[in-house]
This record gives sequence, structure tokens and C-alpha cells, in this order.
Amino acid sequence: MAGFEILDPTVEPRQQPLTYVARPESIKGRRIGLVENTKFNSDRLLQKIGDILIREYGAAEARMWRKHNSSVPAHDEIIDEAKRGVDVVVAGIGD
Amino acid sequence: MPAMATPLMSARHAVSDLAQAMELCFEKGWADGLPVVPPTEPAVRAMLAAAGLEPDQQIAFITNRQVAVTAEKVAINAVMAGCRPAFMPVVVAAVEGIGDPRWAYHGPGTSTAGAAVLMIVNGPVARALDFNSGDNLFGPGWRANATVGRAVRLVMRNVIGSLPGTLDRGTLGHPGKLSYVIAENELDSPWTALHVERGFRAEQSTVTVMAAEAPHQFYNQLSSTAAGLLTTCCDDMRISGNVVGQPQYALVLAGEHMRTIAAEGWTKADIRKFVFEHTRNSVAHLKRTERLAGPVAPGDETTLRPLVASPEDILVVAAGGRAGAFSAYIPGWGSRKASEAVTTLIKDRRA
Repeated sequence: MAGFEILDPTVEPRQQPLTYVARPESIKGRRIGLVENTKFNSDRLLQKIGDILIREYGAAEARMWRKHNSSVPAHDEIIDEAKRGVDVVVAGIGD
Repeated sequence: MPAMATPLMSARHAVSDLAQAMELCFEKGWADGLPVVPPTEPAVRAMLAAAGLEPDQQIAFITNRQVAVTAEKVAINAVMAGCRPAFMPVVVAAVEGIGDPRWAYHGPGTSTAGAAVLMIVNGPVARALDFNSGDNLFGPGWRANATVGRAVRLVMRNVIGSLPGTLDRGTLGHPGKLSYVIAENELDSPWTALHVERGFRAEQSTVTVMAAEAPHQFYNQLSSTAAGLLTTCCDDMRISGNVVGQPQYALVLAGEHMRTIAAEGWTKADIRKFVFEHTRNSVAHLKRTERLAGPVAPGDETTLRPLVASPEDILVVAAGGRAGAFSAYIPGWGSRKASEAVTTLIKDRRA
């Protein structure tokens, strides 16, 4: 049998340039956003983290948003409000 | 090949013979563990022609992956899976389904809960292409069932990047992740076909994709009534799958059970209603069995939590062998809120 060619079944994902905001040197006085993903205890874990950031590190406040479910990105309302209203975001899963 | 054919853009790999081609596919990580058919240009072009697709047409866009799934890549993977060209429109419809925002690819494609893509084929295409709807329904032996699901899984692996251990984190997975395709037995069914219930015409052909666990077979060789058979079904089903998550379910009723239930005049809607009402769990039971947190509180014994959010979340399908008093229920993945079954039209795009 003569040689032949086969076609590559894979693709390279589209490149997404991502730039991160510089980490703050201190969170003293910063507003904390907590993004809860609906998994069991996720809200409790993040609330404790928020409380520690306020009590021990001087953060100004902490507010929480809840995603629609754990398998989807944070929805636009969360992103828009977080952009306007907080300086640092903590997101986590609960299991 | 037409003189003006749109060029295929995929990289090419030279091989000396069939054996080397198959080995190369293993070495490159393109196979699912079984040998694949080497995707040559003529075979890929035949696949595209049978579906009436240009290679650069987008079939799906998976947002989380930022991956555009083109007809060319679907065709290559369909060849590898062993599909006949005539199967290509079914593969395309299924890929459209898993790319639909309601199916929500990222969750079921990635989750540790290990869903497969259950595909239910309805309409004349199911019969024309010899999709099995009868004996050994979930087992091997039918090329259409075995290769169409395999093609979709190869697309998930090779195009969307759902590789076990990286972006497919299934803890256990199940054998349906190789292929999980059934057809509804519309010729023998006394009921409205699934695709008609979901808004299509009987003469149209569709594929319904549902992120799903493995089939759970239940036995009832005793009862001769609809309520009796379904009582057994519900008792098996009540604690299954993500019991507190309210996923969708497929209920696959095979020949003997189908005939017994239909003989009393029950419709699919009657079946859904009965199953919905008889698969509720008390909150107390869910707490005692560590499925819900917290101590049993007053009222928990009488507070009932439905297994599914709505009777419509139970997809009733007539399929399976004529003999044998067995049927199956299939828990969907996660929750209906996170992923829901999607039915897409199998299109004939040929001019």
C-alpha cells in the first residue's frame, strides 16, 4: 500500500489575551467581593474569609454574590457590580 | 473532488500504510482507546458532501473553551469513529445540541460527576440509517449507534479539549462515554414520539442530547398493571443520581412494560405525572441518609422533595427489546438548572 496523508482532528483554542489587575499591596480599606458558586458551604466558607479580611486585615467591607450555578461563569450582573463596587474579589468552590 | 473545492485547513501527517496511520492516531492522543479509521481527505470530503457542508462552516462555538467547532473537524472525527457518510447529519445535529447554551457544555463536559452524552434519535432518519431501538438497546452491534456517539465523543476530545484527567475530570465516568446512542421505537410505540412532544413534526428527524449517567435497569416480572410496574420503577429511582440536585431523567420503557402500561391507556404525560408524584423523598429521609445537611426538624417527615423539578423533566422513551420485563431510568447530570436536554433537527443541507 502506498503512503498517504491523514488530517489532524484537533484544533488550537482561540487565543485570549488576558491582563490581570495588579494585586493591591494591602487590602486595608479595600472593598471585598465574594463570589459564591452555590455549592454546599461555599457561602459559609467565603463569609468567614470575608470576616477575617475585615477583622484581621482591615478591609472596609465584604459583599457576596451568588452565581446561577457552579458550572457557569459569574453572570454579567455580578461582573458589572463588582467592577463598580469592589476592589478585590475572592471566588471559591465549596467542595 | 470538485475542482473548486474549498481547501481543508487541517494539518496533514504523512504515513506509510494503514497500520502506521492507526498507530499515529494513538501516539498523537487522538483515539479513545480503540483503533480509529485514518481520516484521509477523500473520506473527510465524502462526510462533508453527505451533510451538504462546507469545511469552514461553524457547527458550534464552545464559549468556555473559545473553540469554534467547524464542519471539517466534525467530519475528520466522524471518519475516525467509523461513521458512514450518511451518519454525518446526525453527528452534526448532536454537536449543535451540546453546543447549545441550554446544554451548557462546560459543566457536563468537565464535571467530576462523569456525564456522558445520551443521544436519542427520532424520526425517519433513525430507521433509514438503522439506529437500533430494540434488542440490546444500550449494547454493541449497530454501526450507527456505536459510531455516531463515538464521533461526538472524539469531537469533544480532539476539538473541544475534553481529555480525561485535564478538562474531562470525571471521577468514574461510565462506558456510555464511548458511545451512548439509542433510537425510539416509534413503529411499535403506542405513544407520541419524544421529538413530537418536544415540538417537532413526526416526519422530521431529530437527536436529543442529554448529559447523563449510565442506565439503571429495573425489574418487574410480576405486575400486570401500569401502576404496579411504575411503582417498582419509582422505588428504584427515588434515590438515584444527584438526588437533591433535581436533574432531568430519561425513562426508557422496553417492549413488555411498554405494552402493559399502554394497555391501560396511559399516555406519556400520565407516566410522567405518576413518576413525578411517586419519586418524592421526605426531607427527613434525605437528612437521615446524609444527603441534606442538618438534624431532622419538625415537619421534615411530611415535607416531600421532588426528584425532578417538574414532570416535564422526565423524558419518556419507548425503546428496548420486545421480550423481557425490564426497563431503565437514566439520571441526568447535575441539575436541570445547570444542563438540560436539547433536541435539534437533523438537517439535510444538500442542495
